[in-house]
Amino acid sequence: MSANRFFATGNFFTDYRQEQRIFRTHLDRGLFVVFLACLFAWPLFFDASNRTMLVINNILIAVVAVYGLNLVTGFAGLISIGHAAFVGVGAYTVAGLARAIGASHPLIVHWWPLMILAAGGMGAVFGAFVGLPAMRLKHLYLAIATLSFQMIFTWTIQFMPTFNQGQMIPVGRVAWIGGTVGRKDHYFFWYYVILVVAVVCGLAVRNLLRSRYGRCLVAVRDNDRAADAMGMHPGLTKVYAFTLAGFFAGVAGALHTYMFRGAGFESFTLHHSITYLAMAIVGGLGTLPGSLLGPAAIYTLELEMERLSEWSGAFLPDSLNLATALRPLGFGLVIVLFLMFEPRGMANWWRICRSYVKLWPFRY
Amino acid sequence: MKRNMYYLAIVMAVAAGLAFSAPVGAGETYQLGLSLAITGPTSDAGNPYSKGVEDYMRFANDTKILGDAKIDCPIRDDMYKTAVTKRNFEDFLDQGMIFFLSYATGANQALAPDFTEVQIPVVPASMDSSLMKASPYIFLPIASYSHQYVGVAEYVAANHKGEGAAKVAAFIHPSAFGRAPLADFKAAVAAGLNLELVEVVEHGKDLDNSALLQRLASKGVQYVLCHTVQSPVATLLNDAQRLGMTAKTFGEPGKITFMGAHYTGGNDLIALAGTAAEGFHWTTSYRVTSEKGPWTDWQLDMAKKYGRDDKTANSHNYASGMMAAQIAVEAIRRTREAGKKVTKETLYETLNQMNGDKAFTSLAAVGPVTYSVTDRMGVDNVQLYVVKDGVFRAVGEPFKPKYMK
Repeated sequence: MSANRFFATGNFFTDYRQEQRIFRTHLDRGLFVVFLACLFAWPLFFDASNRTMLVINNILIAVVAVYGLNLVTGFAGLISIGHAAFVGVGAYTVAGLARAIGASHPLIVHWWPLMILAAGGMGAVFGAFVGLPAMRLKHLYLAIATLSFQMIFTWTIQFMPTFNQGQMIPVGRVAWIGGTVGRKDHYFFWYYVILVVAVVCGLAVRNLLRSRYGRCLVAVRDNDRAADAMGMHPGLTKVYAFTLAGFFAGVAGALHTYMFRGAGFESFTLHHSITYLAMAIVGGLGTLPGSLLGPAAIYTLELEMERLSEWSGAFLPDSLNLATALRPLGFGLVIVLFLMFEPRGMANWWRICRSYVKLWPFRY
Repeated sequence: MKRNMYYLAIVMAVAAGLAFSAPVGAGETYQLGLSLAITGPTSDAGNPYSKGVEDYMRFANDTKILGDAKIDCPIRDDMYKTAVTKRNFEDFLDQGMIFFLSYATGANQALAPDFTEVQIPVVPASMDSSLMKASPYIFLPIASYSHQYVGVAEYVAANHKGEGAAKVAAFIHPSAFGRAPLADFKAAVAAGLNLELVEVVEHGKDLDNSALLQRLASKGVQYVLCHTVQSPVATLLNDAQRLGMTAKTFGEPGKITFMGAHYTGGNDLIALAGTAAEGFHWTTSYRVTSEKGPWTDWQLDMAKKYGRDDKTANSHNYASGMMAAQIAVEAIRRTREAGKKVTKETLYETLNQMNGDKAFTSLAAVGPVTYSVTDRMGVDNVQLYVVKDGVFRAVGEPFKPKYMK
């Protein structure tokens, strides 16, 4: 490896510590800092509409949720099709409390960072509980167990008066330095909050993966018997994978509740669980960049399909309702094609780009 | 030079005169917005509703109801998802929307705080009475679900021939929409409406209701009051017909008479249930095309003019969409007529003044649209219909449920 880490190319490690670095080269670190700076700075220079900010905030919330799903499904190899229910647990932790003590209670509107953490904690508790069957179940059987949690969650929320039988539970506007965050600054404010959470969570996942606990996840995924023989506890590892997934999902749920100023059950249905799974798969299972690229890709695809459907409605025959069918058809087709021709997800494109740049201009 | 100044003064005077004599807002474009489920759940109602709005807006522009001014009302599909509705709403606001046409109960509840903050008048497709409490800017076009449901229940209480209170079961959609009228219905029973509510059934996606129907029959239920969408009602009616449990006449002893409110009925129900729909009683505030009149002729002409198929043309949801658009256009017209600039605030004022002599008569409904600061439910009357020989026929005159305040 080049002595100068600004100009290093290729992978030439002389010890394991080098391999475990978050940033392989200073150039990587520099680029990451510039990228972060751009993410933080762009709203200050561009007058983005509320709609744009809402879409971006939604993507970032999904990124936090998909971190969790990627840990449990991508890194630990455990299929979860109830992830939206974990997100819902976090959302209803805030909303349920708001219903009990008041939408504008100081705990809800002043101590909101604490509430977000509490929602993550609640998600983790539910994650651990739902993860218990993972000690005995695998593959499709485990998938069914997570699906049942999704069903139980939906039923509970929809029928219990405590949760307003699934109807919207409003949450008040939060307070920040300088007073209450008004409608004008709402999306702008939450953009920064969600961005900070997404960056911190991303770094936490990256750090986890280079620790022994992270390596345990991968080892159990690849061969749980071999992992057992090497002194790891596959069962507990799976439970803690679910616990972590639940934590990230819970945090995402709390952010959702605050950003939408309330929670209603229709945002946490099986359809949403499948969408999260599609985000993880399209982004790239078992990769950190995949958790970022997947949500962005799926949301963009959805918006573009919406636009295509609207545009085609102007000239397609009205009686056939083709325009309305275009969106689900197009959306499904793109996902199927993606799975057929790039099953490793968009993270693989990112890997190819990085490899190309890393070796350029063939220094070694 | 002096002569040039003289001409210039004349030209400026004429220009100033024209400017002041032109109607307020001439040549303006008023931005509205409609977000609803054209695909996804409840799209069978949302689809014709969207066409009703679209056609009436085109008609208003084509016939210059607002003079030189135009209406731009983009229609977006939200797939019955609240998050998408919110995105559409924000998008419309970014475009300068001054009047919002919304759809689902859940989405309206979720957006109610925004409506209040933005102070924008909203006409939803949902007739859930709780929406009026959620925001003072939500104006229901017709009688609430509670009015329609209690209205049909009052008909049962008044016309039941057996001894004692009639035994009824509620068959409702498992959602906020389905449960909306239940509290008012129970309050009406508590207040003296002579009915016995035996069971509340929140239906699932069952394709066979035999067990349910046998259970209700074993409990002596004679009337099933539905509040849901057409397809589960059609399944229920088909099963009842197969089991020979459907009453041939209203309240036939030992059989069950099926009834419902607003979204349970309409031509889609007849198309789905066929002969099993015979005898189904239904309340709504809209006129239906099987009862010919000036409105229905006009509705069918409009549908023909804009190339709609028969199904859409005869749908009460098509009429419903037209009426929502009518209310918005009328509010704009009256605001302009009063010489005010058309804004969210002035439209809100105009709507609140729509009562007494200023009530708006839309022939689409069975009564006038009246709003005030304390009453934001448009048409107060409901009409009972019954399916006879494959079409809905009016039963009696429009009425206002006594047990609803």
